[in-house]
Amino acid sequence: MFNRLKNRVLTSIVPDIPSITPSPSYSIGRPLPDKFQYQRPPFLQLLTPDELKASADHNVRPIIVPRDVGIMPFSCGYAECVNSGKSEWNEDQAAFSMNVLHHPSKDFPDLPYVYFGIFDGHAGYGAALAASLQFHHILHEKLVDIIELLLPTNVNETPPMFPLMFHKTVSKDELIIGALESSFYDMDAVLAEDRTKYRNAGGCTSVVTLFILGKMYVANAGDSRAILSQRLSKEMIKMQNDKPYPNGTKCDSDDYQVIATPFSFDHTPDTERGRILSLGKVHPDLMGGEYLAMEYAKKPMTKDLGTRILYKTGNMKGWTYKTLTKEDLKMPIVTGEGKRSRLLGTIGVTRGFGDHDLRALGSGLLIKPFLSCHPEIVYRDLSLIISLPDDNNIDGEYGILIMGTDGLWDVLENETVARITFETLKKYPNEKHRYTMVAQELVAKSRGRANDSGHWRLSDLKAPATVDDISVIVIPVYQYYKEFCEWEKKFFEAQQRREALRNNSNNKNSNNKNKQQAMPTATTNGNVSLNKIVENIDDDDEDDEVQEAKEENSEISDEIDKAIEKLNLNDGNSEEPTESTA
Amino acid sequence: MSYAYLFKYIIIGDTGVGKSCLLLQFTDKRFQPVHDLTIGVEFGARMITIDGKQIKLQIWDTAGQEAFRSITRSYYRGAAGALLVYDITRRETFNHLTTWLEDARQHSNSNMVIMLIGNKSDLESRREVKKEEGEAFAREHGLVFMETSARTAANVEEAFINTAKEIYEKIQEGVFDINNEANGIKIGTVSTPTNPSIGSNLPGGQSSNSCC
Ligand SMILES: Nc1nc2c(ncn2[C@@H]2O[C@H](COP(=O)(O)OP(=O)(O)O)[C@@H](O)[C@H]2O)c(=O)[nH]1
Ligand SMILES: [Mg+2]
Repeated sequence: MFNRLKNRVLTSIVPDIPSITPSPSYSIGRPLPDKFQYQRPPFLQLLTPDELKASADHNVRPIIVPRDVGIMPFSCGYAECVNSGKSEWNEDQAAFSMNVLHHPSKDFPDLPYVYFGIFDGHAGYGAALAASLQFHHILHEKLVDIIELLLPTNVNETPPMFPLMFHKTVSKDELIIGALESSFYDMDAVLAEDRTKYRNAGGCTSVVTLFILGKMYVANAGDSRAILSQRLSKEMIKMQNDKPYPNGTKCDSDDYQVIATPFSFDHTPDTERGRILSLGKVHPDLMGGEYLAMEYAKKPMTKDLGTRILYKTGNMKGWTYKTLTKEDLKMPIVTGEGKRSRLLGTIGVTRGFGDHDLRALGSGLLIKPFLSCHPEIVYRDLSLIISLPDDNNIDGEYGILIMGTDGLWDVLENETVARITFETLKKYPNEKHRYTMVAQELVAKSRGRANDSGHWRLSDLKAPATVDDISVIVIPVYQYYKEFCEWEKKFFEAQQRREALRNNSNNKNSNNKNKQQAMPTATTNGNVSLNKIVENIDDDDEDDEVQEAKEENSEISDEIDKAIEKLNLNDGNSEEPTESTA
Repeated sequence: MSYAYLFKYIIIGDTGVGKSCLLLQFTDKRFQPVHDLTIGVEFGARMITIDGKQIKLQIWDTAGQEAFRSITRSYYRGAAGALLVYDITRRETFNHLTTWLEDARQHSNSNMVIMLIGNKSDLESRREVKKEEGEAFAREHGLVFMETSARTAANVEEAFINTAKEIYEKIQEGVFDINNEANGIKIGTVSTPTNPSIGSNLPGGQSSNSCC
């Protein structure tokens, strides 16, 4: 019983929310179906109901890892464990996807990218499950949309012209960040739409990592977290002296330091107090006259009415006085501190997907307007990482990205996680499943052990361990970067070959060559170069001209394409090049 | 399918003795000569009948390597039966039994039924541990003993079912507290059309959280 009560405090949302006001379809007909039936991440291969049931054993809390490390990208690690009984099923979910973007000109190798996501559900498993099964499709569409802007389509255009000049300057980073941001919006909108057809899905946090074009982008909404664990030689740290690492912890030898760099920032009522108080101040209607968009230095009491009290409102950074009135005795919109802070007295996380129907305890007010699905994005250009040759520390230098739900971070500090990462890797220097072992170790440490009375304790059997679901992904960043460098090499080779071929073909046919010179902005494949796009924005009439250019050019392009096909330069892509829309 | 009881088993023993193969033979009636190394834990399940009652066995197959030992320890809790397996063609797997047994006794509930299994009985020509040695070890430590072959399926059914029979008898004798799920025994739900057992009835998350 005691345990039950405690669970309620620790969970990110107070579990006994009063039944959500039923929508008409809910109350009249039979209950709405689940959109997705409960399952664990597919890569765990827990396929039968028996396996699902066993994996959700609240007494034992088994640590589940992928059976087949071979199906994980870069042999990355994953481990999870169910809560101690606060909800019947594990409400965390995880997903990855390795995919390629087809280059508009089929003569170039497809651009690979890799995505990982972790979603911590509350008030049900539906939202996290939906996000884990759908988010990557949404993201893929967004990336397909911008592929022509990410890669050069014109052989003359080396290196690709960046930033792009529209009316505004647009960089590749901004395009990828925009794809991530809009994917977050769309995922939230999908959950909103599904409400009429399916059972209420609850909500979830979302932390997502995208590896593309040699960079790592981490997008976060909620209180799951990603950190980069690095192990750097003192020498290296000195080299990067301008950026001191205050959080370094000692590692296996004095020559190395382990460093934990946050790649996301938790969104709780406490960390987002400014945003929420401002919103409440600008839109008092959202508070239904029940709450106050104020923070007080001291809890307002009836006996203090008429005296002065220090307070903040809106985005204020500092405190100021006001005279306490009856109005101030209402409930503040944000209560509590840190992980225990609550929005409208109900929920402990302020960004993520879903919760469209979530209502505040007591007042019944809708909470969604105060929640945000907007992600904060942190990224790193992996080509800027300095690596010392022959020091056998590539994972240390590029780092291991650890993504985890709050079950992990509630009990382990970032630095502890980073230290465990490299301690475990040292124990398993060559094993293919060494990153799995890291994930398993991190889950084991945060889950702890059940003592004789069934309470979960850290290894010392004293401090409480987490009773929450725990999920951890462990990604060796260098493994991605290595693959990217190979792709980049192939890409430039294809580009050079293509240029050589084009020169040959131009020499053969001087007639075509002249045309070519007259039409320098049309590409071999009929695509329109960036200059042309810019012009098009100013003058729509130019469309016709571009179309002409395309047609005239298709002869040359056909010839080149045939030649390339013969030489088999296009990496197994033997289909006819399809016309892509400019 | 409904069941009267669910018994939870754990399979333990050195790596390579045939734990995963035994499980596969029991649940799927097949032998897979090359089995991936078990990392962490895998689950199997099968229904058996004892005394006219349907009993569901939920079996946890663990990784045998030393590196996984501390995690495996946390799985004894909540098991009603354990299959402790060694390989009759590898003496060292027999020598390690004492360590396994100590671990099991220390971390499980005292009523857990332990079945000692000498596996790979089909490899008679390569035998390193005599059957009598297994019997003696079992007698000394109060275990049930059996030699099996995951490959030919010899005694595999019996090993799992005899363990269940012991547990069932202990329940009849009132030794087990069957109301504490941490003992590895669950009383089955009677199946009705509106309440089928797990599988067809994966409940929704929202309903599990909202109070009614
Ligand atoms: N001949 C024979 N080989 C077996 C038997 N059981 C398992 N094996 C083999 O022993 C090896 C290890 O089996 P496995 O089930 O993976 O062992 P585990 O590590 O204990 O799970 C595999 O190559 C199996 O083919 C058996 O009864 N007879
Ligand atoms: Mg095995």
